[in-house]
Formats: sequence, C-alpha cells, structure tokens
Amino acid sequence: MYKLIEFIRRVYVVLLFVIIETVALYCYAHSSYYTQAKILASANSVMGGIQGTLFGIRHYFTLHNENAILAQRIVELETELEFYRESDAVEREDSEALSEIDSMYLSEILQYRYMTARVISNTVNHNNNLITLNRGRSHGVVPNMGVITPDGNMVGHVAACSERYSVVIPLINMSFRTGGQVLRDGERYIGSVSWSGGNPYRVNMTELSKYAEVEVDEAVFASSLFFPQNMKVCIGYVEKVTPSQNQISDDVVIRLAADFSRIDNVILIENSDFYEATELEGSVRSGKYLQDDTMSEN
Amino acid sequence: MQRYFIYSGVFVVLVLLQIFLINNISLSAYCNPLIYIAFIIVLPLDMRPVWVLLLSALLGLTIDLATGMAGLNVVATTAVGFMRMTIASVACGRSLSFDDTLPSLRRFTAKNLIIYVSAMIVVHSLIYFFLESLSLMHILHTLLRVVLSDVVAVVIVWYIVKLIIERIIKN
Repeated sequence: MYKLIEFIRRVYVVLLFVIIETVALYCYAHSSYYTQAKILASANSVMGGIQGTLFGIRHYFTLHNENAILAQRIVELETELEFYRESDAVEREDSEALSEIDSMYLSEILQYRYMTARVISNTVNHNNNLITLNRGRSHGVVPNMGVITPDGNMVGHVAACSERYSVVIPLINMSFRTGGQVLRDGERYIGSVSWSGGNPYRVNMTELSKYAEVEVDEAVFASSLFFPQNMKVCIGYVEKVTPSQNQISDDVVIRLAADFSRIDNVILIENSDFYEATELEGSVRSGKYLQDDTMSEN
Repeated sequence: MQRYFIYSGVFVVLVLLQIFLINNISLSAYCNPLIYIAFIIVLPLDMRPVWVLLLSALLGLTIDLATGMAGLNVVATTAVGFMRMTIASVACGRSLSFDDTLPSLRRFTAKNLIIYVSAMIVVHSLIYFFLESLSLMHILHTLLRVVLSDVVAVVIVWYIVKLIIERIIKN
C-alpha cells in the first residue's frame, strides 16, 4: 500500500495529464455542432453584454452601407406593395366578403413568420463557424428558424437559443447540409450543398443530375423546409462544374451570394409546419409510419 | 503576492483579447492566431508541474466555454502545459537552469527565447488545428492554417511576452 502511494506520488502529474486529456477528448469527440451551438448560447448569457457593446461600435462604421441597402430594399418592397394594392382593389370590387378577413385569422393561417436580428458575433476562419444573434427566446426566436440576409441570400438556420441570444449554424459550417436547386425551364434539379472548410466564399454542391446542364453564373436556390416554397432564397452562383466520379451526376462549386465576413443584419423565418413535416419524415425513416399503417390495416 | 495579481490579470486580459479581438479580426480564412497560449509561456519555469497542468486546463476550459468548442482547447492547452519543460529545455539547450525563474531575456538569449515561444505556439496549434479538422484529407489545407496562424501568433505573443516579463521584473 505504501509503495502504491509512493508510486502515485511519483507519477501523479502524468496521471492527471492523462485524465484531463481523456475527459476533454471524450467531450470533444461526443460533441456535435449542435452541442457547440448550445454551449455558445449559454455562454452568451454571460458574455453577450460585452459582445453587444463591441458590436455597437463595429456597427457604427457600417451604417452608411446598410442605409444604401435598406433604401434599395424599400424601393423594391414599395413596388411590390403597389402591385398588391392594385390587385387588392380589383379583388375588392369582385367580392366584398373576402376583404373582411380579420387580422387575427390571417396570422393564424400564415405559415411563415418573419423577424429581424443583428449579428453580434461571427467567425469565418474555423471549420465549424457559428453566428450569434441579438435575439433570443424572449423575442420569439425558436430553433430551426431559417436565416437569410436582407437581400434574400441564404445564411443558415437557428440551432440554439438562450433568453436573449441565439446561435445560427451558417452555410460555412462543415457539419451543415442543405438542399440546393437549379431552376431550368420549369424543371427543378436538386443537389446536396455542403462546405468543405477553408474558403468562406465557396461551397460545394454534389449529386446534381447531369441533365440539369448548369452553366457558369447560374443561380442556385435553397431547397429546404426552412424557407417558404415560393420564396427564392439564393445560395450562390455556379462557378465551376465537374462531372462526378460515377459519371451520373455533376459536382458544382458555388460562389456564395452572402458575404459571411460582412454579415450584419439578418431576417429570421419561422415555418410553423417545420416540426410536423420533419416528424413525419423521421417516422417514415425509422419505419414507425409503416408499422402504424400495417397495424391499422389489421 | 503581487505576481499572483499580475498573472491573474494576464489570464483575464489574454482570454478577452483572444475572444473579442483576435477571433473577430478575420484577416483570412487560413489565419486564426491563438495568442492566449502566451499565458502558459510566461509562467515561472520553476512552477510545480501540477499547477502548470491545472492552469493550462483552466485556460483551455475558459476559451472552450466562450467559443463553444466543447473540449478542443482543453486538449491542446493541457498538452502544451505538460510538455512545457521539455520544450523549454530543448529550445534552450543545456543553458537552462532555474536561478532566475522567469522566461526573460536576462535568462535566455533572444534566439533561445524566440525558439521557446515559437515551439510552444507550433505544438499548440498543430494539436488544435488537426483535432479541429479531424481528417488527413485536408492535410495541406490544415498545414497552411498552422503556418499562417503561427507566423502572426509568434509576432503578437513575442511582444506580449516581452511586455509581461518586463512588468513582472520591475515589480
């Protein structure tokens, strides 16, 4: 026994080193981008204040640029509004009853909810980049909201929220996967979009049918439950097309439409049907749906 | 006693610098200098290894919690803390004795100190970046990150180390 204690006394530094390393490696190995987002979200409740102040200073210098973008956006929206006003006037003449839908009912039938947020912390030089926003649960942010820039380019989706902050997994996170689509003559060609690290201005799209015959500079749009079906959320523009090894599909390098190093204001989109759709998908995948079906037949 | 205050201050300042300044400056996708390791570099050389180890783990844990890395920084900093004396004696040859316990320019020659500082930074970032990418597929990519980040980190840490050590000696 004495010898054992003596032995431990001699090697306890090494022992401690091994223990700390094992625990840390275990934690790291078992963490996913989702746990990382959660840790960051909880740390933000402590450090969000400092981040917010720094952000305020940084934000001041980009105001000029932002104003220009906002003005441009107002012009676009005004034009769109004008179109709706006109069609509304026509509609009103057609049926008086339709215009009497009260706003409560309207908000209930609206599947998508929008809100704005500002980026207070953002990295582009890691393999698993995350973005922190200054809106959290108390402002109505929930996980799995889609995130786009004000000019309609895809950023990512919300992964975790604290009371006042939320963390977004952007396109330039190596764990992020999403669907991309190319629209051509009324046909949709879908591929899988992911980032392989390094360059924050490029992502890759694989498994795109070679019949899509994409051309350089053609736009690639998001195909995902995060965004409304009819909303064209741009991921980026085709930069290079190479046939994949199996010759069936094409691999495409996409130049991102959003500049992640300058991202500042974002728009959040909540799809109220997201959980219903993904749950259904999950139950089909796990075979539960099939079982329920056969059971009801019996 | 005063040294404890200075070292605590150094700890806090380095962590804040790393999180709020360095991590927010994106010079390039490949450049991500890890300067907080300067804290382990400036610890007295005669400090008991177990304390160095625990302080390294604490430093890693703080950065981990702040950046959401879930253990990656603990692995890297603890490894560096463990290997510190080996790195120091290799970097300084046989000239390393413990009369003066600070890694200062009085104790080391400038060349030796630079070797010590850069060796610590390189070991740390090698572990960090390879664990972060977790694949040998992007090995060139990762090596480029290590080289670019370390060149910037060595310059910054060199000035930080000189500043801190001079401060401590004055007191």
